Amino acid sequence: MTSKEYLARRQFLKQLSSASAAALACGGVTALNATQGAEHPEAKADSCILIWMAGGMAAPDTFDPKAYSPFEKGLAVDNILSTFPAIDTAVDNIKITKGLENVASVMDRATLIRSAIQPDLGSILHSRHQYHWHTGYVPPLTVAAPHIGAWMAKVLGPKNPVIPPFINIGQRLEGVGEKEELKAFTTAGFFGSEFGPMNLPFPQDAVRSVQPPKGMEPGRFSNRYRHYRKLVDQNPHRELISDFQQESMLRSMDAAHRLLQSKEKHAFDLTREPKESYERYDTGRFGRGCLLARRLVEEGARFVEVTTEYIPFIHWDTHENGHSTVARVKQEIDRPIAQLILDLEARGLLDRTLVVIASEFSRDMMIEGVPGSTARDQSRAPSKTLEEPKHYGLHRHFTGGTSVVMFGGGTKKGFLYGKTADQRPLLAVENPVSVMDLHATIFTAMGISPQTAFEVEKRPFYATRDGHGKPVLDIFA
Amino acid sequence: MSTGKQLVSMITVTLLLAAPSKAKELDFVHDVMPILKTYCGKCHTGEKKEGGLSMNTREQLLAGGEGGKSIAVGHANKSSFLTRLTTDDPFTRMPPEGPRVPADKIAVLERWIETGLPWEQGITLGISSWEPPLKPRVITLPPPTNNRNHPIDRILDHDLSSRELTPPAAISDAAFYRRVSLDTVGQLPPPASLLAFMENPDKDKRRQLIDSLLADDVAYADHWLTMWNDLLRNDYTGTGFITKGRTQITTWLYESLRINKPYDVLVQELISPTPESAGFINGIKWRGEVNSSQTLEIQFAQNVSQVFLGINMKCASCHDSFIDRWTLSEAYNLAAIYSEQPLELNRCDKPTGVMATPKWMFPEIGDVDPKAPKPERLKQLASLMTHPDNGRFTRTIANRLWHRLMGRGIVHPVDAMHTKPWNEDLLDYLALRFADDGYDLRQFIRFIMTSEAYQSQTVILESEPGEDYFYTGPIAKRMSAEQFLDAIWQITGTNPTKATAKVDRAQRRPANTPDTPESPSGIARPPITAKWIWHDGSGSMKAELRKTFKLESKPNAAMVLATCDNAFNMKVNGTVVATSRDWQAPVLFDISPHLKSGDNTIEVAGEMFGGSAGFIAQIVLQGDTIKVINTDKSWEVRKPDGKWNEATEVHSYGNGPWSKVLDGKPVTPGLSAANGPPVRASLMQNDFLMRSLGRPHRDQVVTTRPSELTTLQAIDLANNEILTNYLAGGAQRIKANAKTSDELIDWLYLYAFSRKPTPGERPILTEVVGDGTNVVAIEDLLWMIFMQPEFQIVR
Repeated sequence: MTSKEYLARRQFLKQLSSASAAALACGGVTALNATQGAEHPEAKADSCILIWMAGGMAAPDTFDPKAYSPFEKGLAVDNILSTFPAIDTAVDNIKITKGLENVASVMDRATLIRSAIQPDLGSILHSRHQYHWHTGYVPPLTVAAPHIGAWMAKVLGPKNPVIPPFINIGQRLEGVGEKEELKAFTTAGFFGSEFGPMNLPFPQDAVRSVQPPKGMEPGRFSNRYRHYRKLVDQNPHRELISDFQQESMLRSMDAAHRLLQSKEKHAFDLTREPKESYERYDTGRFGRGCLLARRLVEEGARFVEVTTEYIPFIHWDTHENGHSTVARVKQEIDRPIAQLILDLEARGLLDRTLVVIASEFSRDMMIEGVPGSTARDQSRAPSKTLEEPKHYGLHRHFTGGTSVVMFGGGTKKGFLYGKTADQRPLLAVENPVSVMDLHATIFTAMGISPQTAFEVEKRPFYATRDGHGKPVLDIFA
Repeated sequence: MSTGKQLVSMITVTLLLAAPSKAKELDFVHDVMPILKTYCGKCHTGEKKEGGLSMNTREQLLAGGEGGKSIAVGHANKSSFLTRLTTDDPFTRMPPEGPRVPADKIAVLERWIETGLPWEQGITLGISSWEPPLKPRVITLPPPTNNRNHPIDRILDHDLSSRELTPPAAISDAAFYRRVSLDTVGQLPPPASLLAFMENPDKDKRRQLIDSLLADDVAYADHWLTMWNDLLRNDYTGTGFITKGRTQITTWLYESLRINKPYDVLVQELISPTPESAGFINGIKWRGEVNSSQTLEIQFAQNVSQVFLGINMKCASCHDSFIDRWTLSEAYNLAAIYSEQPLELNRCDKPTGVMATPKWMFPEIGDVDPKAPKPERLKQLASLMTHPDNGRFTRTIANRLWHRLMGRGIVHPVDAMHTKPWNEDLLDYLALRFADDGYDLRQFIRFIMTSEAYQSQTVILESEPGEDYFYTGPIAKRMSAEQFLDAIWQITGTNPTKATAKVDRAQRRPANTPDTPESPSGIARPPITAKWIWHDGSGSMKAELRKTFKLESKPNAAMVLATCDNAFNMKVNGTVVATSRDWQAPVLFDISPHLKSGDNTIEVAGEMFGGSAGFIAQIVLQGDTIKVINTDKSWEVRKPDGKWNEATEVHSYGNGPWSKVLDGKPVTPGLSAANGPPVRASLMQNDFLMRSLGRPHRDQVVTTRPSELTTLQAIDLANNEILTNYLAGGAQRIKANAKTSDELIDWLYLYAFSRKPTPGERPILTEVVGDGTNVVAIEDLLWMIFMQPEFQIVR
């Protein structure tokens, strides 16, 4: 390259918008993966919403009803399989449990997998199981594994260049128990933070993340950036710093400011949602998170996770008062999930948006924990019979049969896959789906080969372990 | 062409070249490669190319050999590669002698060809023919060019001229000061010191500056703690602490850096540890079941080999490595040195029935006694590691430090020490020099910094350098998250008040000075005649005090003995040198590194919490003669935002409520960080802002941080609340020191960039900052400065 060409290229790079730069950066990989593997269905989804039931959602009390026993003093504990009665859904052969009536009404858009399984990583290890579920790898690892959202960001890139491709809604990473463990997988790992999550723990405050700093008028904010750019252009060292260091920095600054001054940033602003619609979602933080996810996907978000939030002993991490806790959490999730599906459908987005409801494991039995465990609030009911309402509800971590619900994104509608036993142990007895294969399925729906690999420290690192993940092809329409 | 974003160091896309088949897909690495290695490797991999056929890469195999193509992709029966494996013809059969390839393996190869010869890119059977030497090597230095005598320059100038290149031009004094200060102590040069340095006519001033920066043991430790924490996987919060599965080595590490513990001793203490330094080899004990490649023993093998030898044992902890020569048994044997129990080899997480023998990788130097108890084995490993014949050990650290200072390793990535350096002579020379200089880390840094190469301009590169890199000059570095915050705190004065890290940052008296009340510093301390001074006592609990004095030359020592009821901080020529919040514990410290010939200013911000107020100090300057500066009415005082007046002498020493607090055993600043210099980012627990700027979650050893700013980081820089608060606090402070608009701009540019604004920049800056009295405008100006690539890059 002559020096003239070199300078021309520098000029080109400087003028290149980050949108086109991002497209350049991501194009090649996407194309190759999308065309790879004739056996795979054509990918229909280009966005993914993961609805994360953090803490261990008991399948028999949600999507996989078994024999129901209402609370009754003296009831034999071993006989209690479900603490909620089954209800009908929009699909004849699918029943789910009471408290999920709204979700039941949209089950004709769903594929329900009842046979997801996890390895036993120990009895009380939420965060390790969550790490496993979110990365496809069991911790600890010698390299930092990327979150499934980071895979999508890395391989597929942003869908709308203005919207960060990986957005994580509802999980605080500070001030909660096991926060370090949560941070360990809420990351792009070795991909680098370009592909990491934009964390929005409070949906109603999300807009603050894309606004000028508190107290700064938009005019001042854009002026600041305008003067900044002028200074950059006048900087005498402008031509003396390598492109790969300087231009990428300036492009990122530019991309950030374009988002912060874009119309798309309004997607982050829940106050702009019509009141009626807002109220349909507003069952609490999770419900508002679903609304935010919908707004972001509408504007072109690639991957959004919405969680009920993992806090030890709270929400789905049911211990004492398990039954009433689950009843309450259902109230929080039922309406917004159903509304999300209906809204996506109404906007013609459901077919290209894969929505996944999942949890790190299921629960079973009244007793829990391991002998000698000192975890607080453990209701290790000593008797074989039920004596107090606070012991009523499923507590014991169970990895042998977990429900996963998928909507849209090219999956079948009103389809049931896999089965668990009707008597204890409630193991998956038909078509078990491992975390690895579940990942392979999600990746396949999104057009990412489960064998996609990147090199780190001269070793290949695969989207699914050693590239062995097999998509569950039966669930694709 | 690089657009920057698609190039992330160490990560390259690996594309699988074949469509998967319906049956269980072939896994090249696990299914095919072992067969090729066993039956074909001897003659067709590495340097061997019998019959012109190399199987190092897919391309080479497809290219075929003297007999033409040997593989018809998709057609096993038309591939001579396969037919020769099965034929009975003694002249064409392969392998020519020895056992034939068994039928089940033939079937694998057949399927491999039929399914398109899948081969993971980046995987080669051609292990580099270059084997890194173990022993140190003495090299002959090439003759100097143009009187550039420094050994580094002799080697590099020779390297450059052999490629018909000329050395890069030298940098200015200002650029040098900024670079050397950020590299040594992680801080920007304060404007006053910078100007003094630029005006200093002494030819030797750069060397003196390097020496004085390295002599600042606290600042040095504050800065280098970041690299060592990354490298030794040490942090203050993080995974594992919650279950006591992990311990810190912070206090020990910081002290080791402060006293410049020789590197061989430091490593011995890490491998064969005391309780204070045991956190490194003990790894992170995870709750529950872990993969056999992540047990504490295997973590030990991985971390010890990676950190000290640049050997990646992560591959070999599951199976014999495909990328270098390390084997599963070598990984387990190393792990067994640490193991309390006999250790069984696990291959890919499955037990093998084979037991490991405690051994290390380089028996040429010696070995551990497998029968010795664990502490003894660790001790033996520690001395083998630091054995003078272990050139791998010294090359690895020399390379890491070169990378930090020059922007790229001589071997790169820095953990791939099995790959060929771009200049073997340079690496071997540096490694030996390091050992000869007593494994002295600071001396080694000094050695690099005194070269012309270090003091030359950074090069402009087309793209992030790759494997074909060759040296043309130093490469600019991106500031670490910690450097970035430290620099912002310096300018805005918004350092946190309390450090997370439990470290001793108290100023210490110079070594070898007797500890007596009469001569606490080795300087004969005259009786104290200083006065307690303050303002008139009305109106404000705060007082600002200052004293300007002229020096003929920079003194050798300048010991300050001072206290204030209740609290003070002191700046010398703009640099904060002490803070104290306990009047009964007078501070004693040397300010000579901050003094210069000509005018010097000491500024004190004092505060009383209630009751009596007063500040007292005696400063003993030792040059050719002894000179004493006392607090008295020759100092100036003002209330915040008030006018400067003559200081009021509140009491003579010995009178007032404080009796003779400076007598008796002078108390050096206490052990809390509050008594040291301002808290630095390396001492704080990771926060949202630092994490977003690339400070890692230290679960794994980290040796290189990302070199690029990402969009999410840029969003944080645009509106992050933590950063916004620093800017707001800084703007208030800067306005309080009100100067004219031009002075303010000059001061900021000098501080941030070590230069004044150009005529092109000044009108924009003036437009932004107006008359310099608007806090909001100053806040915005600060942001614009901190966001300049020039600010965030160490050039």
